[in-house]
Amino acid sequence: MTQKNNSREKEISSGGFQLSLDAWAVALALALSALIWIGWIKHVPW
Amino acid sequence: MADSIALPQSQPLSIFRRAAQILPGLVLLASVGYAGKFLERTVATYGKAHHLTLPNIEYVLWAILLGLLISNTAGLPAAFKPGVATYEFWLKAGIVLLGSRFLLGDVLKLGGISLLLVAIEITLSLLFMTALGRAFGLKPKLTTLLAVGSSICGVSAIIATKGAIDADDEDSSFAIAAILALGAIALFIFPVVGHWLGMSDQAYGLWAGLGIDNTAEVTAAGALYSDAAAKVAVLAKTARNAMIGFVVLGYALYWARKEGTEGVGNKAAFLWKKFPKFVLGFLIISAVATAHVFSKDQLTSLANLSRWAFLLTFAGVGLRTNFVEMRKQGLRPFVVGALGEVVIAVLTLGLVFGADHFLR
Repeated sequence: MTQKNNSREKEISSGGFQLSLDAWAVALALALSALIWIGWIKHVPW
Repeated sequence: MADSIALPQSQPLSIFRRAAQILPGLVLLASVGYAGKFLERTVATYGKAHHLTLPNIEYVLWAILLGLLISNTAGLPAAFKPGVATYEFWLKAGIVLLGSRFLLGDVLKLGGISLLLVAIEITLSLLFMTALGRAFGLKPKLTTLLAVGSSICGVSAIIATKGAIDADDEDSSFAIAAILALGAIALFIFPVVGHWLGMSDQAYGLWAGLGIDNTAEVTAAGALYSDAAAKVAVLAKTARNAMIGFVVLGYALYWARKEGTEGVGNKAAFLWKKFPKFVLGFLIISAVATAHVFSKDQLTSLANLSRWAFLLTFAGVGLRTNFVEMRKQGLRPFVVGALGEVVIAVLTLGLVFGADHFLR
């Protein structure tokens, strides 16, 4: 429970370029979409 | 939305250390999620092979139940906690990818209706929760956190507000515990009520998106009803999430004035900082899909990727829910939250029925 709170608030590293969790999730999703679009990822099964 | 993680540049080793920290929990998330998927398929195959009519329990429910079982019996060892906490990251990536399944016109239509309902819901919820908190003698900042958590965006809103109004750690832990416990309960009650009332996928999805607090529980409650309901629920919740900055800004200004502390400096920068960026990602993917950039097969792959991300999320919902820990947080915030949730659920149900003919 509280570990969630702590993990959300904690800076994982000091210094360096920082992005929010949201921004990382968006970046990953857009990167995967781009890989699918250019054909590097041919098919994702379910 | 207040979270931040870093891209270390000067300490390359820390990347590996961080990956090593996350890996056990991530493997657990994947194992529990995949076990849920496996159980869904196995039960269906067994029923078919033996000509039995077994209930179709979706992987969503299996994954949550397996997670709950582990968390509330064996418990979650500390080594798994950092990885399990990434479930929210996968949730947001999954929502962005889900944008590929919406035409932008539908997003604007349904999102517009949702925004209108969200504005009504937030106003009434904030007023009601504030009055309820006062009636129960809760601390004012705890009341604020509960009001924001139950009216907008669950845990993310509480954390964003905590920083903005300088609330105690204890208050935010109480509020988060109450909101998570109530979310876990709502996750199971909403689909039952929806079926009992014979709600359409769209109406149910809208109700779940407006009535349940935390985005992960909204997504799971939608998916437990139907795939179509999950889509609408996520869209409605995304519209709700988009309001977070405005409400947090309002409370930050209110508390700064009340306590005579320094107010918010640049309001536009404050709003941008609090704005959930995954809402933008969702709109970008939806716009790209609407422009027919992706082929049909590619859209299927994107939808499947979104499902995999949600699979990790649903496992995380179960694994991070520990009822014993929640009970330790005290009864009063939970009672206030529960009363508020019931009223908000009834209120949003009325709003959804009222708006239903606009959606047809």
